[in-house]
Amino acid sequence: MLGQVVVSGILAGALYAMVALGLALIFGVMRVINIAHGPLLMLGAYTTFFIYQALGLNPYLTVPITMLVLFILGALLQRTLVYRVVDAPELSSLLLTFGISIALVNLAQLAFTSNLRTVEYVTGSYTLGPLAFSKSRLIAFVVAAALAGLVFLFLQRTRLGKAIRATSQSREVAMVCGVDVQRIHRITFGIAAALAGAGGALVSVIVAIQPEMGQIWTFKSFLVIVLGGAGNYPGALLGGVLLGLVEQLASLFLTTQLSEAVAYILLVLILLVRPTGLLGGRQT
Amino acid sequence: MRLTARIALVAGVVAAAACPAAAQQAPIRIGASLSLTGSYAKLGSNQHEGYKLCERDVNVKGGLLGRKVEFVVYDDQSAPPTAVRLYEKLITEDKVDGVMGPYSSPVTEAAANVTEKYKKVMVSPLAATTSIFRKGRKYIFMVISPAEGYLEGLIDVAAKRGLKTVAVVNEDTLFSKAAASGALELAKKRGLHVVYQEAYPKGNTDFSALLTKVKSLNPDVIAAATYFDDAVALTRQMKELNVNPRMYGVTVGGDLPEFYDTLRQNAEYIYGATQWEPTLPYPGQKEFLDAYRKEFGHDPSYHSAAGYAGCLVYTEGVKRAGSLDSDRVREALLKLETRTMFGDYKVDADGFQLAHKMALFQWLDGKKYTVWPDELASAKTRFPTPPWNQR
Repeated sequence: MLGQVVVSGILAGALYAMVALGLALIFGVMRVINIAHGPLLMLGAYTTFFIYQALGLNPYLTVPITMLVLFILGALLQRTLVYRVVDAPELSSLLLTFGISIALVNLAQLAFTSNLRTVEYVTGSYTLGPLAFSKSRLIAFVVAAALAGLVFLFLQRTRLGKAIRATSQSREVAMVCGVDVQRIHRITFGIAAALAGAGGALVSVIVAIQPEMGQIWTFKSFLVIVLGGAGNYPGALLGGVLLGLVEQLASLFLTTQLSEAVAYILLVLILLVRPTGLLGGRQT
Repeated sequence: MRLTARIALVAGVVAAAACPAAAQQAPIRIGASLSLTGSYAKLGSNQHEGYKLCERDVNVKGGLLGRKVEFVVYDDQSAPPTAVRLYEKLITEDKVDGVMGPYSSPVTEAAANVTEKYKKVMVSPLAATTSIFRKGRKYIFMVISPAEGYLEGLIDVAAKRGLKTVAVVNEDTLFSKAAASGALELAKKRGLHVVYQEAYPKGNTDFSALLTKVKSLNPDVIAAATYFDDAVALTRQMKELNVNPRMYGVTVGGDLPEFYDTLRQNAEYIYGATQWEPTLPYPGQKEFLDAYRKEFGHDPSYHSAAGYAGCLVYTEGVKRAGSLDSDRVREALLKLETRTMFGDYKVDADGFQLAHKMALFQWLDGKKYTVWPDELASAKTRFPTPPWNQR
């Protein structure tokens, strides 16, 4: 039983990690906590659904398209709204992104109605001895891990990635070195939204799509980045897998009802004992 | 919402001109708030269509007490506090002659405080929570079966088939908890051994750990008090983890066409509970279906049917009382025993529904067949459920 639950936890964890990485990026670079991160994931799920419905395309093949759509949307949000609060106190950015979140959910309700939509593509599982690997969750795991890895390579190796990290470390110094900080902010928000969108595409194959599906992902992502250390990108990966495991193990040994409570108690404990997160905050 | 009222008014005027006998007196105005926007929008709109069709049919048949009937409907945006305000307005400002219930248990629970205060009879066709009717309220009447009865059919069939063990899982919300506790009680009564019971939080979509535990106990029956999302997720993960009970039933969500569209062959053999199906052999069913499809261009859901039936029950009560006076209508509704296209109606002294029966259906070859109770059944159960790879 334990083995199965650990497998499920790790499979879920990679997805948490990838989605949370987006939140961590925005926080790291701009010190903005993006409450609208979950609703962006919801829009990603709808994008996949409509492409799947219109073209009958394999939902996994829609991931790049969905990411592109969400990248543009994210960059636009940054350009029109979020840039106004980057230097403001954190409360302003919380309020603004909270407002964006409500607007996105309600617009989605108006535009797409609250009818439940589903993308039925793969069901069943691969079995390995006594262990079952859900097909849809395994694919989500692989894609999420690959995307997270790519983002890392991008941050570590490319000029643009280095500029993002530089901005994250010190905006002033980056500016002095000739980095166009506004542009970096737009790209960062775009990448973060694209990661949320990819999450939405992967999730759409697992659960039903509806306008309110996203909010829980805001909370989970927040939990993940606090666990791993806010603004610390490898920490987000660790936090994601940790959250997946904690949820599953808590529902195995306690009850499913308590599993969320356990995750949030962990959050409080970490904030008390090690407020910088497990790997320490804001290192790049 | 103004517009709805205005359209209703215009429709009333046009109809009145065509029918001079009933036009001599002012129409009887029945007020209601419905969830026309917000999270219950779709279901509330279906209920609204039920009311509208009832209004039309009552007027075609000569009206009520010789007067035309006219609905005054506002949008409560699926929010209980808004419904409270709207019922206040309907009763004190609009001075409607009667009211009908809103959509959903939480909204009804809130609105009932207002209607009780003004001693207005409120037939509430879409409230299934027992506690609403057990608070000493005098003027509220229930139409659909209570939540506790949703899994009765599943447990009954399981007991008759000689099954021994059952696992009950439920979402941790008002309705699902009531459905699960009803199932537990029935299971005990029928001699089934409850080997596992667990609630999971609303919005939960990962059941791996829960199902791993269930699998190790290998129950004959899994009874799940669900909504749509969790019913789908639970079913998918049962397949993934190869959890294969002899019977598996869900409550809400399993009856939607989307349930089958999503799960396809994986929905086969699954049992579900339903308040009403268009195929049930109740009187007036065909006429209702034809009229509804013609009027609105789509099939009614049970919300539409319950709305229509609730309105019929109320107008029948008024007819028997011969008056719109709350206390006299109340007396008539307490005594009333009737069968509509929605099924039976008979309430106890609290206005709590006793006669209406839930039906149990099974998904077979892409269609829902009613398999319980026997007198309504359209097919025999296919039992036991085969392994996942043979569905």
